[in-house]
Amino acid sequence: MKGHERDTISTDSTSLKSPVVLSLALHLLILAVALAGWSWTNPVQEPEPRSIAARLISPEPEPSPLVDDQDQRKKDQELKEKQRQKAEAERKRIQQEEAQREAEKKAQELARKQEQLKEQERKRQEAQAKQKAEQQARAKEAARKKAEAEAKERERQKAEQERKRQEQVKRKALEEKKRQEELRRKEEAERQRKEEEARKAAEQKRQEAERRLREQQLNALAEEAKKAQENEARKQREAQAARAREAQMLTDSQKYQALIRERLSQAWYPPSSATENMTARLQITLLPTGELASVTLVSSSGNTAFDNSALGAVRSLKRYPVPDNRDSFERYFRQFTIEFNPQRLR
Amino acid sequence: MLMTRKSSNANLKRNMVLFGWLMVMLMAASAARAELLIRITEGANAAIPVAVVPFAESGVMPAGDKVSNIVQADLTMSGEFQLLAPEKMLSLPSKRSEVYFRDWRLLGQRYVLVGELTRSGQRVEARYELFDVNREQRILGETAGASASNIRSLAHHISDRVYETITGEPGVFSTKLAYITLTTSGNESVYRLQVSDIDGQRSKIRLESREPILSPAWSPDGKKLAYVSFETGKPVIFIHELATGKRTKAADFPGLNSAPAWSPDGQSLLMTLSRDGNAEIYQMNLASGKTTKLTNHWAIDTEAAWDHAGRGIFFTSDRSGGPQIYYMERPGAEPRRLTFGSRYNARARPDSKGEYVYYIHQRQNTFHIARRNLKTDEESIITRTGSDESPSVSPNGRMLIYSTQQDGKGVLTVVSADGGAAYSLPASEGEVREPAWGPISR
Repeated sequence: MKGHERDTISTDSTSLKSPVVLSLALHLLILAVALAGWSWTNPVQEPEPRSIAARLISPEPEPSPLVDDQDQRKKDQELKEKQRQKAEAERKRIQQEEAQREAEKKAQELARKQEQLKEQERKRQEAQAKQKAEQQARAKEAARKKAEAEAKERERQKAEQERKRQEQVKRKALEEKKRQEELRRKEEAERQRKEEEARKAAEQKRQEAERRLREQQLNALAEEAKKAQENEARKQREAQAARAREAQMLTDSQKYQALIRERLSQAWYPPSSATENMTARLQITLLPTGELASVTLVSSSGNTAFDNSALGAVRSLKRYPVPDNRDSFERYFRQFTIEFNPQRLR
Repeated sequence: MLMTRKSSNANLKRNMVLFGWLMVMLMAASAARAELLIRITEGANAAIPVAVVPFAESGVMPAGDKVSNIVQADLTMSGEFQLLAPEKMLSLPSKRSEVYFRDWRLLGQRYVLVGELTRSGQRVEARYELFDVNREQRILGETAGASASNIRSLAHHISDRVYETITGEPGVFSTKLAYITLTTSGNESVYRLQVSDIDGQRSKIRLESREPILSPAWSPDGKKLAYVSFETGKPVIFIHELATGKRTKAADFPGLNSAPAWSPDGQSLLMTLSRDGNAEIYQMNLASGKTTKLTNHWAIDTEAAWDHAGRGIFFTSDRSGGPQIYYMERPGAEPRRLTFGSRYNARARPDSKGEYVYYIHQRQNTFHIARRNLKTDEESIITRTGSDESPSVSPNGRMLIYSTQQDGKGVLTVVSADGGAAYSLPASEGEVREPAWGPISR
């Protein structure tokens, strides 16, 4: 707008001196207005500490003093702005009237001069008048434009206010939205948490199930191991029993061996020719009843009387003491060898 | 998968165990195949039950003891047999067809001797059979004959045959004993050298003297006796031929001439001489009369006897302070003391096998006959009597005769070599001492 005005002025300055002055004055006026506007804006900051101070001494802080304060400040600002604008407008109107009067004075002077020069410059006067009219028109136009601009400005401010309100609404909406979003987020978080919980629960459940399964498997394994162990123990018991039987048989066998030895010792009359290095071996076969089935001299002592004494001893037993246990009998006493070898001769 | 592996493992293990058991069983079975061996190292500490069935007789038998009774007595005296009394016999068989082994086995008999005597003129013929009851076998069957006046010899012969058949040792029932008797009437003493059967029967006086007769010793062939006689007033060694009664002085040296002992070959005599002032043992060659001094010690060395092999010599010496038995491995070798633990051990008499030596052994103020095992040095007392003297071993080493006191009178007692049985010879008149068991004459 200013550029346009300057353009206009510069085009005017090239044409006449008075327009230049006029524009200069206008400029000055504008500058003054701007300066006034600037000087106005400065003290606007002043009331703030008061509001803060007021807040400080208030016994109970307002629930949302900042927002209200801001609103208040804004309102104040708006009010001030309106007042300022009103004053501005008044001042401008006065200035304009003064300028108008100045201009009219100048114009009267000029007219007088021109009256003097009427003849010479009737045409130019005309032109000038015309120009003046034009200028007036232009000023009018400018005023109008200015009013327009001011209206526009008002409009703009209104729009600005509207915009701000809108923005506020928007912000509120945004805040609302944010709140909503926050809520949603929270809900989402809650949902996620729940989901997580559910997932965790499911996981736990799964783990539990797995654990149970594993436990069952372990139990099964343990059971199996126990069975195996029991089986082994049973086998060992059986083996032990078998060994015990074996030992029993051996013990039996030894018992019966001792009995046979005793009976044969009693029945054996080593001949007087016997010496300690004489040995006769006889193989004997028994019936399970203990009766002698057969006897053979498998190794002679070299002394007939000695051999005969051994044979006689073996044959003298009517019944050999043998175990009733058939296994034991078969293993040890069905057939065995008797060795006659005197160690202690009379 | 795990289970199957496990079970397969278990199967494997079971199989291993089964296999192990099989091996054990197999080993046990093979051990069983190797057969049980029962070793009998001791016999019955008892006499062998033998039944001597009274012999059947055909013809008139001489008066006196019956052959079968003499055989019974002989076998009993040996201490090795326990004779069944004839009244306990279920039957009196005289030949094999009549022997019922079952009966004899029931009676616990091991051997049964049956026989039959037949008189033919002045002779008596014996047919006898010995049966092993358990084996049901005849183990001896012979005939033998003797003049009717000599049936004791026939009986002893049968005893010897039975004994030898059963024991494997030669019998000694036909051998002779020599001994000295002393008869005192008033203040007259008569010493007699007598020879008898070993049961004391058929004794014959070979020498009679008012002076002491000591230490009769049989020549190995049983034909001569050496002894010490004081008939000349001092001890002189004589050799007496039994068949002819011929007597020769073998040693008549100054001082002591005593304790004669024949060498196994009969060529020399061991004797104790004190001709050099101290009693020492000498060996005299009978053919040349030459003597060899075998000991040389300030102490008394006496009572020498050859060992069974005729190589070493046992003798008595008091070089340790009291009489003890010594042994020199060969004549003249350094003697080794055998007996300890008693202050009196004397008159060693070895057996014929080199297993034992017998000697007089004092214990607690009484004198016994002890037997020492030459291999183990084990010493045992085999007589139960006291004041025992003059041991003499039977030629088969199974019996021992010695003299002892019975009712204040000297008697002869026969014991089995282990001391298991004792048999006192029937008392004869007077005291009996210094027995000497004769050899087996072939």
